[in-house]
Amino acid sequence: MSSRLFKHPMRLAITVVLLGFGGQAMAHNPMCECKEIEDGQIRCTGGFSDGSGAPGVTLDVIGYDETILVPGKLGADSTLTFNRPAAEFYVLFDAGPGHIVEIDQADIEAP
Amino acid sequence: MSKAAAVQPSSALGRWWLKWRFHINILLLLVPLAFMPKYFADASLFRGDSGLGEREIGTVQVGPWSLQLAELRNEAPRPDGPAGYMKSFNAALCKTCIDEVKATYLRIGKPRSLRAAGVIFFGTPYRMGATLPIPERTKADAELWITLEGWDGSMHQASIPLSEASPATIAWLAQQGGKR
Repeated sequence: MSSRLFKHPMRLAITVVLLGFGGQAMAHNPMCECKEIEDGQIRCTGGFSDGSGAPGVTLDVIGYDETILVPGKLGADSTLTFNRPAAEFYVLFDAGPGHIVEIDQADIEAP
Repeated sequence: MSKAAAVQPSSALGRWWLKWRFHINILLLLVPLAFMPKYFADASLFRGDSGLGEREIGTVQVGPWSLQLAELRNEAPRPDGPAGYMKSFNAALCKTCIDEVKATYLRIGKPRSLRAAGVIFFGTPYRMGATLPIPERTKADAELWITLEGWDGSMHQASIPLSEASPATIAWLAQQGGKR
């Protein structure tokens, strides 16, 4: 493996550059985006800033009074679609304590 | 004698180049020297030799506990791709609260619940770090909320103005406001 690596100067150069970026790539912050699609439905997509998806991660829709309106988990494609609740709500992408993204209903784009 | 060797440059500069061109590569050894000050400054910052962070915010009392807070870098938030802009803070729990505090969270604005208390600090209680997302629409009078969760289930909160926690972030927000 390494002998092949050193035979190609370009490959070696790329490896060195990637090693340099390693420190930055370590941070993978949770992120979540919600959009309103047709028929009053909202689709949220979760993921992490290192480009990885978030299948199976909890995504709850919670009312302003802290009742959970839609308890959900992201599907295999890291998305969850739900009907827009009648009450005021926010979306909580919850990948564990301290690894959350909150999206207020005011920040959800209309189609 | 070959023909190529017979061709001698006539100018002094040409002769100097021919004689020294190989040895000049020694100058490459000087290149890393330019990066040394930053390297050692970073090494001491991450080791903790130069304090908790580049800019100490001070001690914040949170209920019965307290913690020291610092900005890791005294600079504007850094972009982290699609996750938006991030700002790193460091914290150290008070000696007596180390055994009592289970988790420390940081958030801009008052948390709605413990579940949504913000980003969590990780690392040793003597030197923990957290990376806080800073939305570009954050108001200049926003507050930084610290939530401490105890092993006994108790929760205590305190807040400090963002302008006190990170003047560099406030300056950056003012710039963003100008653009929008």
